[in-house]
Amino acid sequence: MSAVPAQSIPAPARTPGRPRWLRPAPEAVRRAKPRLAYAIIAVAGVAAIVVAQLLLSIAVTQGAYEVDKYQIAQAKLDRQQQQLREDLDRVQSPQYLAANAEALGMVPNANPVFLRLSDGAVTGDPAAAGAGTEATAPLVPNALIDGVPLVTEHPTGETPTQGKTPGAAGNAGEAIPARAPAPPPVDGSLPTPATH
Amino acid sequence: MNRTSRYPMRRILVFAVVMVVLVGVFVVKLVDVQIVRASALNVQAQDARSVPVTVYGARGDIVDADGQVLADTVMRYDIALSPKQAMKGDVTREVPDPADPAKTTEVDVPLEQVAAELGSVVGLTADQVQGIITAALADNPESDFAYVAKLVDTTTYEAVKALDIPWVVPYQHPSRRYPNGAVGGNLLGFLREDDGEPLAGLELSENDCLASENGEASYLHSLKDWVRIPGTEVVHKEAHDGGTLQLTIDADLQFFVQRIAEEQRRAVGADWATVTVMEAKTGRLLAVADVPTIDPNDPDATAEDDRGSRSFTAPFEPGSTFKALTAASVINAGKGDPLSRITADYRYLPPNGANINDSFFHGPTPYTMTGVLIDSSNTGMSIFGERLTDQQRYDDMLKFGLGERTEVGFSGEEPGDLHGGPGEWDNQTKYATMFGQGLTTTAVQIASVYQTLANGGVRMPVSLVDSCRTADGETTATTSEGRRVVSEKAADETSAMLERVYAEGWLADTWNIPGYRVAAKTGTAQVPDGQGGYLSGYLVSVSGFAPADDPEFVVSVSIMNPVKMNSSAASAPVFQEVMSQVLKKYRTVPSGAQAPELPATW
Repeated sequence: MSAVPAQSIPAPARTPGRPRWLRPAPEAVRRAKPRLAYAIIAVAGVAAIVVAQLLLSIAVTQGAYEVDKYQIAQAKLDRQQQQLREDLDRVQSPQYLAANAEALGMVPNANPVFLRLSDGAVTGDPAAAGAGTEATAPLVPNALIDGVPLVTEHPTGETPTQGKTPGAAGNAGEAIPARAPAPPPVDGSLPTPATH
Repeated sequence: MNRTSRYPMRRILVFAVVMVVLVGVFVVKLVDVQIVRASALNVQAQDARSVPVTVYGARGDIVDADGQVLADTVMRYDIALSPKQAMKGDVTREVPDPADPAKTTEVDVPLEQVAAELGSVVGLTADQVQGIITAALADNPESDFAYVAKLVDTTTYEAVKALDIPWVVPYQHPSRRYPNGAVGGNLLGFLREDDGEPLAGLELSENDCLASENGEASYLHSLKDWVRIPGTEVVHKEAHDGGTLQLTIDADLQFFVQRIAEEQRRAVGADWATVTVMEAKTGRLLAVADVPTIDPNDPDATAEDDRGSRSFTAPFEPGSTFKALTAASVINAGKGDPLSRITADYRYLPPNGANINDSFFHGPTPYTMTGVLIDSSNTGMSIFGERLTDQQRYDDMLKFGLGERTEVGFSGEEPGDLHGGPGEWDNQTKYATMFGQGLTTTAVQIASVYQTLANGGVRMPVSLVDSCRTADGETTATTSEGRRVVSEKAADETSAMLERVYAEGWLADTWNIPGYRVAAKTGTAQVPDGQGGYLSGYLVSVSGFAPADDPEFVVSVSIMNPVKMNSSAASAPVFQEVMSQVLKKYRTVPSGAQAPELPATW
């Protein structure tokens, strides 16, 4: 026996230049620790949203009370406006004006007289208005001005207050705020505008 | 090893199937709730948590030609209480603590005191309020609702609210108000108080313009303090306000005219009176007075017959004011002119068997047509009227707008009665219709006849309503063209004759308006009793226009049965005062020249 040196099958020759199919995996990169910052941002975001929503909700609710307050105030002012408008309409009704005029001693003049400027001619019969015309009140009734005092019925020198007269809580019987008649600004002659 | 590991797939499968089925059920339910039945459930939820409230639309205003409000809508309140709750015990109220004004303390207020407080606010006594409660409970021991007061105003409402009684609830109740009272009340009409249903006048005939529509909305509110939760309001139905109705009437003039008419009606003891003021060139009614006049704020205070507008609804035999129409017809047909000569006796017996008399005795008089009008001779007018056929006169009456309702279309307006026409007129009626008997017209129709004569023979449509402005701002105005009825010559010559009537008639001094030329005609008409005969009283009237040289205004006055002065002398002062006021108010330039002379006799 020849001592043939035991030969192992030669390892396949490595072909240079041909990459090896297998290679050691590169050493794993150390896995990054999960960043706490992200978590914090996410949680904080959610929290912020929740808080924002809460605040908005509070604001809306607060607004609702404010809106409600204003609506109530508006309703109240509307009622007040209606009340004042009713009073105004009442006192500017022709019956009330006529009754006041009569109470102040005014009488209607049924004799119109015209002065024609072109030739100075007077048409019509100048005649003084006669007293003795029947009082207007019963002729053209107005249930709304029943009980409304005339200008002459207010105590002089005292302007009636805007408020309600105590005890006047009827349907149409409230006192109407009326101003005491101001004396006309006349000194001997009618005021004339200065024109050129 | 435990059992579960033996058939792991099977368990997972079972679990998966269960999960899928479960999720499937949820999904189906979700779709059903969120999509299929979503709206129905929403409504149900809304209904369960919210109370629908009525949103009131305001009925439109009625305003005069200048915009002065004649009728408007105001909010009134009905005060109701719950008898059952009222009897449950004392009302607990927070009042300032007498010991420490900064704090409040609760006190119990007994029913008697609460009733007294409530009563004093709404104008009842404590006993009356308690009476309401006990009466309601006697009817029904579980009674939860009874009215204490209706239609109280805002002041009272505020006072009731201030009392803060838990068992008292105010309800809104829109109501109608007429700030000028009886001014134009005859035209405006009124509403039923309970439900606002229009019952008469313009409120009724123009309801399409005025009517509003109530809406409905609901919202959620917080439990404790009843604050509206934002974004929960649901409008189920929009409320719509009514339109504003503008009339041609001038409220100040209307007031003046009503005042004069009522004063005279009382002075002469008449049943009623009407005065119509119309613009001659446009046919617009400036004032329509009917006295006695209703105050629409309180319709019950006026007798039922007096609640409307007789100017539109009460036709009467016009009498001699009608002669102007016959004269215009005769001239228009070329069968006469103001100087045409006839001889008329006080009695005229035409061949057909009729019997015509004058109201005063006179022998055979050589009248011109002008003279016939001045003396208002029935026989003379009959002789002129004969020159036309009955059909011609009838056609002219129709052209003047008689026998049909005017363009106003007032509620309850009457067309007047021409008794069918010439074919149905009997022999007496054929002549009577020449001088205004045997047919009926309304006061407004007569005013319209005079408007036609004043306007050169062109009849303008009568208008009472100027326009309707809807809440959206749209305006619908009524405009229409005039219609020629008689030739301009016929109208002008008739006008000239009526000027002579005004200047020479027996009332010339009573109705004189210095500075103006006026054309006018009186009438004293018999009033049919409805059974073919005539009543003893008369309807006295005056119709006319001024200034006659360029007519601007027509005034027509009718007074029914003035027992203290049974002639047209009763109506002449009203005509004079109203016409003066109209000319004065509208700053009409006085006439320059004198009226042309026309001989009354030959």
